[in-house]
Amino acid sequence: MKPRATVLGALAVAAALPAWAQRPLSGMELFVARDKGYCISCHQLPAGVGPPSTSDLGPRLEGARMRALGKAGIRAAIVDPAAANANTLMPPFGRHRILDDQEIDRIVEFLNGLP
Amino acid sequence: MAFRRLAALALAFAASGALAAPEAVRKEIVDRLQQQLPQLSGAEYVLGSAAFDDALRAKIDENADAGAALVAAGQKVWTAKFRDGRSLANCFPNGGRRIAGNYPQYDPRVKRVVTLEMAINQCRKAHKEAIFDPTDAATMGAALAYVRSLSNKIKVAVRVPPAAEPSFEEGRRMYFTRMGQRNFACASCHLQGAGKRFDGVPLSPAIGQATHWPVVREGAPVTLQSRIRECLELMGAAPFAAGSDELNDLEYFLTYLSKGLPLKANAWRPKAP
Repeated sequence: MKPRATVLGALAVAAALPAWAQRPLSGMELFVARDKGYCISCHQLPAGVGPPSTSDLGPRLEGARMRALGKAGIRAAIVDPAAANANTLMPPFGRHRILDDQEIDRIVEFLNGLP
Repeated sequence: MAFRRLAALALAFAASGALAAPEAVRKEIVDRLQQQLPQLSGAEYVLGSAAFDDALRAKIDENADAGAALVAAGQKVWTAKFRDGRSLANCFPNGGRRIAGNYPQYDPRVKRVVTLEMAINQCRKAHKEAIFDPTDAATMGAALAYVRSLSNKIKVAVRVPPAAEPSFEEGRRMYFTRMGQRNFACASCHLQGAGKRFDGVPLSPAIGQATHWPVVREGAPVTLQSRIRECLELMGAAPFAAGSDELNDLEYFLTYLSKGLPLKANAWRPKAP
């Protein structure tokens, strides 16, 4: 009885998990999630994109600026921002393995597509 | 650039074989913050993050009595008789009135920084009582809430005698060292980013940070070291234990930075995010 109860319990927990926990997080979700990028804690997004934020420890992110950087530039800034600016406050998301390569790719796509 | 200047100042002292004089370090940080935050008056530094947020400041004023129940509970802990008939109140001058501004202090006999929490536990140990867990709200937290309330308006008067400079320097070094998975130093947010918003909340400047502890969050006391431990977790670093030499030195450095500012215990704070 006990193993069955455990299985049922696990199923109940899985069913209770939000949908995002059962599939890879999108670029925007990674941008917001506290245990992932948590980028929203420092940056603001263009109006109407993602949750509103008043954070300004990092610069406001605009689509035109992102596209000027290019996908490779955005990626480099996420992987190891200190390579370009030793004084940066931004965490080295790739170098310190806060995000994996695929997660960084999804954030790059999200930022590159900002209005 | 100023971050670099501070690091250079410390390096210059290290290279000359001398330690960075605490007052020179404090003055450099005060000057930098005044330059960076010209709108902030000297008296406003004790407000911490609320100095940059009128709504938060109003909520703190509204909840000025948030620590009342805690202080009452702490008074009981403070005056509770030990088995030998003495109490915590008997271990400190004036029963503990107007003492908080002198902590942390350096004890040359043990060659260590002694925080007020440690002094409380030294008292209990000397009287053969079990020491308090420094993170326990009902005992240490309450005792601190009470005894620190007896020093409201008293100015921070922490001293760093020559023998204590290595401890001060260790605290300074840690404040400026990037740690953890997110690679932040305390100074990243509280000096370089002071006054800017992280997760929507303004970052308190290094000066003034040590003046209002414990804070009261949802009725419970949160000590300075507990709050530093929360920061370390957010930085993705394994927090040092409360009462460890690392956190004691950090508290020593941080409190010295607030020298001359008035204490105000039990400041209300909103629920942690």
